[in-house]
Amino acid sequence: MNVVHYRKQATNRALLFLLPFALALPSCHKDADSRRDFALQYWSSNNGGEIRFSQWTVEEWNSKHPENPVKYQPVPEGQSSEEIILAAVVAKTTPDIYSNIWQGLVEFYSRSGILVPLDTLDGFMEFIQQRCDSATIREITSSDGHIYQVPWKINPILSIYNKRIIEALNMGGFPPTYSTYLEAARRFQKDTDGDGYVDQWFGNTSVKLAWYQRLFNFYPLYLAASGGMPLIKDGRANFNNQYAIGAFRFLQELYRENYFSRQVEAAGQDLFIAEKYASKWTGPWEIEYLEKYKRKDFDYAFAPIPVPDGHEGPVYTYCDPKSIVIFNTCQNPQLALEFIKIMVSEEGDLQFLQHTNQLPRRQNMDTLPRFREFFAQNPRLQVFAEQARFVKGADICEVLVEVFDILSQEYEACVIYQMKSPEEAIADAEKAVNVLLRVREGPDF
Amino acid sequence: MMKPYKAILFILLTGAALSFLYPFYWMIMASLTPEAQIGELAFLPGQLTVDNYVLMISKIPIWRSLLNSTIVASLSTLGVIVFGSMTGYALAKLPFRGRNLLFFVIIFTMTLPFQITLIPNYILMVKFRWVDTLAALIIPALNNAFAILLFRQAFKSIPDDLIHAARVDGCGELRIIFQILFPNMLPTIITVGIITFMSSWNDVLWPLIVIRDEQWMTMPQLVTLFAVGGRAEAQLGVKLASAVFLALPIIIAYSIFQRHFIQSMASTGLKN
Amino acid sequence: MSTQPPKYQQLRNKLLPYVIVSPYLIHLCLFVLFPVAFSILLTFHKWNIIAPMEYIGLDNFRHLFQDRLFWKAILNTGRFLLIHIPLQIVVALALAYFLNEKILMRGFFRATFFMPVVISGVVVTILWQQLFGLETGLLNRLLSGIGLARVEWLSNPKLSMASIAIMATWKNVGLYVILFLVGLQSVPKSYYEAAEVDGANAWQQFRYITLPAINPTFFMVVILSTIGGFSLFIEPYIMTDGGPLNTTLSAMLYIYKQAFGYYHMGYSTTLGLFFALLIMVVVAVQKYTIEEKE
Repeated sequence: MNVVHYRKQATNRALLFLLPFALALPSCHKDADSRRDFALQYWSSNNGGEIRFSQWTVEEWNSKHPENPVKYQPVPEGQSSEEIILAAVVAKTTPDIYSNIWQGLVEFYSRSGILVPLDTLDGFMEFIQQRCDSATIREITSSDGHIYQVPWKINPILSIYNKRIIEALNMGGFPPTYSTYLEAARRFQKDTDGDGYVDQWFGNTSVKLAWYQRLFNFYPLYLAASGGMPLIKDGRANFNNQYAIGAFRFLQELYRENYFSRQVEAAGQDLFIAEKYASKWTGPWEIEYLEKYKRKDFDYAFAPIPVPDGHEGPVYTYCDPKSIVIFNTCQNPQLALEFIKIMVSEEGDLQFLQHTNQLPRRQNMDTLPRFREFFAQNPRLQVFAEQARFVKGADICEVLVEVFDILSQEYEACVIYQMKSPEEAIADAEKAVNVLLRVREGPDF
Repeated sequence: MMKPYKAILFILLTGAALSFLYPFYWMIMASLTPEAQIGELAFLPGQLTVDNYVLMISKIPIWRSLLNSTIVASLSTLGVIVFGSMTGYALAKLPFRGRNLLFFVIIFTMTLPFQITLIPNYILMVKFRWVDTLAALIIPALNNAFAILLFRQAFKSIPDDLIHAARVDGCGELRIIFQILFPNMLPTIITVGIITFMSSWNDVLWPLIVIRDEQWMTMPQLVTLFAVGGRAEAQLGVKLASAVFLALPIIIAYSIFQRHFIQSMASTGLKN
Repeated sequence: MSTQPPKYQQLRNKLLPYVIVSPYLIHLCLFVLFPVAFSILLTFHKWNIIAPMEYIGLDNFRHLFQDRLFWKAILNTGRFLLIHIPLQIVVALALAYFLNEKILMRGFFRATFFMPVVISGVVVTILWQQLFGLETGLLNRLLSGIGLARVEWLSNPKLSMASIAIMATWKNVGLYVILFLVGLQSVPKSYYEAAEVDGANAWQQFRYITLPAINPTFFMVVILSTIGGFSLFIEPYIMTDGGPLNTTLSAMLYIYKQAFGYYHMGYSTTLGLFFALLIMVVVAVQKYTIEEKE
């Protein structure tokens, strides 16, 4: 056997072995994780404030329970946390506790059988009844009667407005009802440079089709008008009513009269900061953003979501709720619950509020002395804390995303392009949603 | 002296060229303009600033993604050249049972739209636990049917005598491919290299599906998510800065190897 | 080598080719054959990835034929092709025809037209999103500047797909300019000289000499842009998310949304398979027509 031949054989063999080796290599480092030196793994969201809060919680826990240490990890930054969770479930790398799940998705995961029913754990019901009022508990109870989530935090949606502009309109403050809102919009609309096009608008809200955009325009308006009625009730559409139709009509008029701009927000700079928009609908996160980018003399305030004329009672809104869940890969759910209790203890909630400027979903928050102190120092957040008494989250429905998608399709056709009357659009949406929900009974997609 | 006909052509072509160049020029200038002035920008910004770049770099791991993209595109290209030439060589020069069948299968996979394999491949990546690793981007891209056919053609045009002579000298087949024949087929290697590198570098759909963790994202994916998602905080200049960043490496490579780029990409078209 | 028994040598020679093609074979089985088989299996199932697969027979196909949004997406893709291909051919042919003359800075023009081809579609899309902007977009500022009315490039449902087709043409036309140029240069100069002697004018020369000569290029361009056009995805994904009124929802975008928006893996795969077959049929018909004509 000569040398060349031998070398060639070696090369061939190396090549043959190369591929399977390359296949196996990347999975190694994740397997190493399974030799765990901690009792629980907790995934938090990846924004700065929440990471600091998670640090605090884990340190707090670990100092009290050194025998059962918790390890936390922010979910990787990038796409939506839903996709990350899904990938983790498939790859069987789910954590024990995850704290940033949208309330509207919990039913999807619980129906897929990957969450722990928390009400089967000792002391959960007492704990949840202390944290939440009965309406919230009803809102989070799954269709199978179990509870799979701990309501954690909310960001209520309100109207934000440019104070200088609203005062100049002489309407005696921000218009609270549909008719005064439209009147204010009419007064503000203008073609300032005389080129034949309107160049300042009373408001702006996303015209994008993505389903979740409806959580920030139609849905708060619907909840405000209806006093917090659900979209889905007893497994069928519950929204073909005067409130949904009224909200569609109101929005349709805003676009028809060109009171709201149809410019896609990504196509230019922020026109609210540029004072071309007098108002918009947004959550408490807007405060930090505005303080960062606004001009010094720019002054703003918040007001409730507009309601139909003659509306009585409190004005509800959507609160963008996030929950904490325990995955059923967890070896010790009872321990996980104890950890969650630390996370949402009075001290925990206060720490969370201080670190993130987001509100804990805890009843009567604004009556606790230490919270009152915080809000006194942060008056901008006070209005959100008051609103927190009158908020709704998401309905229990496995296919809620698709329900919002259907509403979004009709929203675009009716509100943005005026191709349907509000009555038709809502009726069509109701029909499509009922088809969707009935199909779910049998084989489906 | 230019004929009037040619002068008209020249003006038309200049107009066309401007419509291709000006948008890029505008984009680069806008990325260097303070946010509030972008709306009025036409030719020269009132003042130049790199704030948009500073902000963009602080918001997304763009350098990291540049590294990822470079690794992914380089390794895929290397794989396609090495494995493609091996398979192409076997098809062109080695008789073996099933050769025609293999050739037919390769042609078939070329006509197979990627839409069919997209989701099963994603599931495969999940099962291999390659989601959020560069392996998911590199390993499925290590072979390419079109490159194999290009190599097969190139090897076919090389006389058998050269190979026989090498075998008599005691060379193994791999040495024949990579040491003896490769220098004779540089144009094919360049073509395959450029096409593979470009398509890997510019791909967005597959990274969007298999990479969710920001630190493993490729540059086009990161910039896409930055532009579509909310993290640019509606700041246009920052968004454009990220787009300029994404375009720059290719623009530089293109202005140096312009002729090779055009030849390679045109030859793909011609041979299809 | 003399020490080797001939039998071993023979066996080695027989196995060697398989060893050499093995990297490709493994790759082929893993990333092509298995996925094709798996996607056929998936079409009979309902699967959201995390819950177990559920056999549902032909329901996915039944749903496909009733899914108006999917058919709309296919029609949209067709509409895109109908605008994009002719536009691309006319512009590419014109530019190639101009470039075929001996003209100042020819290389520069060629390189400029080709530049968008090599640049990432993401960059081009982000850039054109700005050009198309309603109030502050460059195109509308240009139109206002010369006293014309503003155009709602992306938000007018009648125009949105055409706008995307214009952008796609701008991005890809350089490649087709080169292809046409190669075709044009293959026409011998003597043909034109002979025609000139016969008194043919420029149009007649173009019609009777140039066009027939570039016929093969012409059809190649059609097929290439058809295949490219069918995978239209990133442009609407970034610019419009399929809106307004689903007019820019391309088939690929819809398939992507079904899979990664709703996690309907089985259904999405069914759509993908059906769409792939459709592409194959369309391309086969185009090829057949071309071969007929030749």
